[in-house]
Amino acid sequence: MNRKDFLSAVIPLATATTAFPKTIISNKKNSSKKIPPYLNKGDLVGITCPSGHISMEECTAAINKMKEWGFEVITDDTVGAKDFTFAGTDAQRISGFQKMIDDPKINAIMLGRGGYGAVRIIDKIDFTKFNKNPKWIIGFSDATVFHCHINHNFGIPTIHSKMCNSFPDDFSTATQSQIETIDSIRQCLVGEKMKYERLPIAENRAGKGIGDLVGGNLSIIQMMDGSASNLHTEGKILFIEDVGEYAYKIDGMLWNLKRSNKLSKLKGLVVGEFRIKPDDAGEEFGKTIYEIVMEKVQEYHYPVCFDFPVGHVRENYALKCGMKHELTVSDKGTILECID
Amino acid sequence: MITIPPYLKPGNTIGIVCPAGYMPFEKAQTCIETLTAWGFKVVVGKTLGNQFNYFSGTDQERCDDLQRMLDDDQIDAILCGRGGYGTGRIIDQLDFSKFKKHPKWIIGFSDITVLHCHLFSNFKIASMHAPMAAAFNDGEFKNQYIQSLHGALIGKKADYKTSGNILDQPGKTKGILVGGNLSLLANVIATPSDISTKNKILFIEEIGEYIYSVDRMMYQLKRSGKLHDLNGLIIGGFTDMKDTTIPFGQTIEHVIKDLVKDYNYPVSFGFPVSHDKENYALKVGVDYSLKVEKDLVELKEL
Repeated sequence: MNRKDFLSAVIPLATATTAFPKTIISNKKNSSKKIPPYLNKGDLVGITCPSGHISMEECTAAINKMKEWGFEVITDDTVGAKDFTFAGTDAQRISGFQKMIDDPKINAIMLGRGGYGAVRIIDKIDFTKFNKNPKWIIGFSDATVFHCHINHNFGIPTIHSKMCNSFPDDFSTATQSQIETIDSIRQCLVGEKMKYERLPIAENRAGKGIGDLVGGNLSIIQMMDGSASNLHTEGKILFIEDVGEYAYKIDGMLWNLKRSNKLSKLKGLVVGEFRIKPDDAGEEFGKTIYEIVMEKVQEYHYPVCFDFPVGHVRENYALKCGMKHELTVSDKGTILECID
Repeated sequence: MITIPPYLKPGNTIGIVCPAGYMPFEKAQTCIETLTAWGFKVVVGKTLGNQFNYFSGTDQERCDDLQRMLDDDQIDAILCGRGGYGTGRIIDQLDFSKFKKHPKWIIGFSDITVLHCHLFSNFKIASMHAPMAAAFNDGEFKNQYIQSLHGALIGKKADYKTSGNILDQPGKTKGILVGGNLSLLANVIATPSDISTKNKILFIEEIGEYIYSVDRMMYQLKRSGKLHDLNGLIIGGFTDMKDTTIPFGQTIEHVIKDLVKDYNYPVSFGFPVSHDKENYALKVGVDYSLKVEKDLVELKEL
């Protein structure tokens, strides 16, 4: 089966037709887990940029779409701010993020874009108020810093999904998967049941596992090692994705995960999209992503699925980090379902 | 207590092995001739000139070749032909039990940083961060950096002097020297090869990375506590750095300066340890004194 077929076979099963279910779904709440309140119509989403620069124009599509969903949207002055590659100086980005997490009127925070910069400010953020009044933080790529830091330190789930820069400008010409991936953010935010299904692929390893879902960008996960934002994977379902790295770099990062015991006690492994940088001539690494991953996890027995639609691609569906999921991989296909 | 492997004498044997990337045999020719001219015997492992895709052999071949060199009583030191990538794939399969009883110098840099860190953190055995086979080519075997390797091998204590840099943080210190390639130092964090940098003099160098990526790795060193308790810091060469389409807006030196300016220990920028030819032999695990003055930086082996 070709790759395109399985990508188009991804169907979020949240089937509610109204954006705002009356009953917010939050069953089986882990006692130490603090799930932020799901959003209701009229709730306020703040947009801030703790990493790379993005213009206000580039946020317009996201703002309009979220208003269409029934939310109010507010941006801070990091949107449009520019200090070389960053959305303003470290001080500006700290101040922007801090105000958003502290402001009780703001119910969720969508990051403008990834890029680079979160690690420069994470230790300067005071999460005291946020810890008492959690809210959804939404983003991926460089935002993996926040997912790792917040899930582990505060037991507060976050949303790994597209950000402002990934909303299509014109939804009338957007592909079905673009529309679905953007809508999966709304589904997460309003507390709809999240369940993704994929067709089977030969490289998968069958099995079933239940655990909190953690993960994100592989480069960032490695860079959190040894720090206060270190990702803890024991008993968890781990998902990983990366973009623009050479195969040998991906291999080295996965060895780091293996050698730092991040792969030995998983309940499942979800391998997202790896847009690997082509090898330089004469430096061909000679292994596919399937081989690179499987040789690290061959001695373990948990389920592994590949080509899951998460990553720096159009098919980047929203996932709730820190929430309990069930991963089922079989010859019939893959199911990843949030059961928290 | 650190174990210093025996220094070499004329007639001793150096084994050349490639634990990581592929290296054509002919690129090691000058190195072999030079080591011979220095009075050593040279044996080459099966991995020199051997190729398996990117690597100098399969993991098994590379592991076996290095293992044989580690265990062979007839081999007095091991020079890695080149770095590249691959040492981290075999490090946990190597058996160091014989080597621990009969340590020998392991020489190399770049990807070989994994070995330096591993030997130091697990066995407290010193190793040599120094030019590898290709650095001898194009007439460079005569340069002071290759010569420093010769000196280091025969037990001559190093006393390296270099000019100061405007970003240097002055001071005098002593400590065990540890370090190597920044990417690999970051990559081994939290693994069994991770090093403690407390009260050490740390040196770092890098090649071919984006400035933002160096910034991110430096933040990792800082956030994982690797920079807090140093006695001194040596910033080597950052060769062929790349920038993103939107410029990062800072040079590598300023990126690093920003992260270490609040520490009181001496910091030297632009020290000759690098992927360029300026690459003095440094003994990881050995005590050095570091003096950083306005116009002079001196790293002296104690």
